[in-house]
Amino acid sequence: MTQQLAIIVLVDVGTALTSKTLDGNTYLFDNMQFHGSTGEGTGELVTAINGSYWQDGSQGTEEVLNWLPYSLGSIPPTLPRGYHAERSRQSDERALADLRALAEKPLAGAEAANEVNRIHRGVGHRVKATGRAHGATGHKLLDVTGAIVTDIGSDTHSYPGPVITDIRGQAVDEKIMYPSEYGSPDLVTDGWYWSATVDTSRPGTYSYTMQIQLHDLVQEGGEWHWEPVTMTCESQLRIITEPRRNGFTKAGMGVLPIAVPAPQA
Amino acid sequence: MPTKPRQQDPGPQRPISITAVVDCVGALASRSMHGHLYLYDTNKAAGSTGLGTEELKTWVKRGDRLLWNALALECEAFVSIDGIAIDKEVCEPEEKVYPGTDVTYWIGTVKKDTAEAIPYRLSFRLGTRAEPITTTRSPALVGRIAGQARTAQQPQEES
Repeated sequence: MTQQLAIIVLVDVGTALTSKTLDGNTYLFDNMQFHGSTGEGTGELVTAINGSYWQDGSQGTEEVLNWLPYSLGSIPPTLPRGYHAERSRQSDERALADLRALAEKPLAGAEAANEVNRIHRGVGHRVKATGRAHGATGHKLLDVTGAIVTDIGSDTHSYPGPVITDIRGQAVDEKIMYPSEYGSPDLVTDGWYWSATVDTSRPGTYSYTMQIQLHDLVQEGGEWHWEPVTMTCESQLRIITEPRRNGFTKAGMGVLPIAVPAPQA
Repeated sequence: MPTKPRQQDPGPQRPISITAVVDCVGALASRSMHGHLYLYDTNKAAGSTGLGTEELKTWVKRGDRLLWNALALECEAFVSIDGIAIDKEVCEPEEKVYPGTDVTYWIGTVKKDTAEAIPYRLSFRLGTRAEPITTTRSPALVGRIAGQARTAQQPQEES
């Protein structure tokens, strides 16, 4: 059976935008450490990929890689897909309720104006995007606790998650992997994800480059919007022919995941 | 059209995020966080060290807000922070919930600058396991005074 391997691309978006590079601000993980991946949690991950082989050594099937880009220091990807939209709607409802309550109060002119200003500030700001700021475009600006940002210039906003826009390089050029972007019902990836089938018949180490789009909050013509900023980062695949093992029992991938008895002393 | 970068207002700042990336399968299999936990923060530019290890040292100063959250290496797995054991005179993190969800985070404010690193321990709820698992190695908050002492001792490394 083809194994689904995952590579998490964790980006410190705020620092990457400030320093204008993903180098030193990107941390990569996979679920293949047990099979020999190295550099887990660093920018120098080498993903070990072991294929499936018949007894004569020929390739049994390809492997499948999935990439999951996450943002460090933003609201977490475990929140529901429509969280921005829901929080925007709740804030509008709260403002309408406050306005309704205000209309029923016999307040003097200045006092009423202050109250209207307070409600206006609490409404927050909708921000549009010219790139692919998944989940955040067209909705209100949230901070990292999920609260509406009322002062847009205060630099308290949460950044949209990074978006992979291309995967290329040696591993693609040499037809070791065939990456592409797919639609998905997976809520964690906001409906899109990058995946690749990997030819495991040619062992070796191959590099690849991810093109990643971040989004910076900028003001243009009096309006704020998410401006796409494209950067790249590199990683490597190491195709190996070692047999696969069960991550829990350390045993082979037999019919039953039975643990290997400890060797007798 | 030229764009104007976001304002650098010295007013309220976003909290320093401290994120725990957890290999749930590995931690559950070994019943230990050791070797299955990667800690990061968003304050590397200010001097935080040990990113990607279990002994993250987050550079903080009095008044900084700190936000802890957790991510699972495999998106199907569940992980959350169950508790943070830290000197309450330095910080008292509280568990909060993202409004309208059951996703939690911990947040607290650094109460004072310290002359030494303040170690703390994190406990995690993993999968369906009833008992939380606590870190065996301690991350720490490194205050401005402790950081200055370190800088004085290691001028070349910091330059």
